[in-house]
Amino acid sequence: DATQGTPGDCQPCPCPPGATCAVVPRTREVVCTNCPTGTTGKRCELCDDGFFGDPLGQNGGVVRTCRSCKCSGNIDPNAVGNCNRENGECLKCIYNTDGFFCDRCKEGFYGNALAPEPADKCKPCACSPLGTRNQQTSCSQGTGQCECLPNVAERDCSACMPGFFNLRSGNGCERCNCNPIGSTN
Amino acid sequence: PRPDVDALTPGTHLLFAQSGRIEHVPLGGYDMKKNDAKPVLHLPEKVIIGVAYDCVEKMVYWTEITSPSISKANIEGGEPTSVISSGLESPEGIAIDHLGRTMFWTDSAKDHIEVASLDGSNRRVLINTDLVNPRAIIADPSNGNLYWADWNRKAPKIETSYMDGSNRRVLVRDNLGLPNGLTYDPHSSQLCWADAGTQKMECMDPGRGSRSTVLERIQYPFGMTAFGKNIYYTDWRRDAVIAVDRYASRESDEFQPQKRTRLYGIATAYAQCPAGQNYCSGN
Repeated sequence: DATQGTPGDCQPCPCPPGATCAVVPRTREVVCTNCPTGTTGKRCELCDDGFFGDPLGQNGGVVRTCRSCKCSGNIDPNAVGNCNRENGECLKCIYNTDGFFCDRCKEGFYGNALAPEPADKCKPCACSPLGTRNQQTSCSQGTGQCECLPNVAERDCSACMPGFFNLRSGNGCERCNCNPIGSTN
Repeated sequence: PRPDVDALTPGTHLLFAQSGRIEHVPLGGYDMKKNDAKPVLHLPEKVIIGVAYDCVEKMVYWTEITSPSISKANIEGGEPTSVISSGLESPEGIAIDHLGRTMFWTDSAKDHIEVASLDGSNRRVLINTDLVNPRAIIADPSNGNLYWADWNRKAPKIETSYMDGSNRRVLVRDNLGLPNGLTYDPHSSQLCWADAGTQKMECMDPGRGSRSTVLERIQYPFGMTAFGKNIYYTDWRRDAVIAVDRYASRESDEFQPQKRTRLYGIATAYAQCPAGQNYCSGN
């Protein structure tokens, strides 16, 4: 406040070099304006949207300059709010990926979230409801194997093992019990 | 520039979001009075995406994604007030029906469109099917129509419905890329969009369906707003507001704020409400 007539009327901005500051009239709070490129916040302590870091080192004392969201190539540059501005947690994973860095398949999908081509990334588990334990919809992340009922085969638990029948029972498959003398194999 | 809320002088302005603030540029005729540009609102911890203007109460409404919310402030110097702060994930576009006193918004994480009274009450989901990346949304209160764009890379589209969500139809689905921006000019009955994929600005008469290209090889549009012969859009390449003369089919001016960071939504703050009435305004 330059109108008080004391030596302390004007004080340096509590902002990084290059930024300016101003006083909010109502609250008398000092706020930085024109923060350095890529940063924002009352003290230029935050990263702009699409970036993450800790430009002033407020969390743990280590300065981490603002960097682009690191989401394994599984975000869309046309989206907003792709990652948490402080810790970088990915918030808008695409191609059916999930996880802190969009680095694994989301529930109900399997494959390699880090594959270069979107088509090779995460595929639906598509577990057969008849052959899968508790009608689960999730499967093994890597192999895509669904958890099958007894004597049920295939990745998606969609068929009986050889020598078994009646997948439709919903309790697994039953032994055929064919008479070895009258059967062809 | 002062932070907090700066009062605007009378006249028509552009309001646009830049990271944690809403800036404005007064218009003199159709020209941006760049030297008189200043922030109207400073919210340094927020990321403001959508901006809309209520000409009746002279309020600016905005969506914000860090603590997902919708807020408003009087542009003649009022306090920011939260309107909706729960049940939002990634609110983006926002549109105001100044006649019916309602607002509409898209949520790109919940993949739906909602409506509520301007005070946040009477809230309900209007559209919740076949949306992947809904962003821009526009209301045409005089005709009771709603328009929105979905930039889903696999099947981008521009759609319309009545303001109650009924009579939903796809208006455009061919030759679209990333239709980020949308605006409707009631005087010429033109719905225009800016596409960051095809890099085109195009318009159509939604009633007749005729489609025309205004400008090609634009850079990276995000938000857009029409005013008279001009369309203004925010550009992610230049971090600037670009003025496009619709009839001359050229970019006529650009305003680049001092701070270099992305610009998001943009709205025209009219000096006076456009004339018009609708059947819902008495409700």
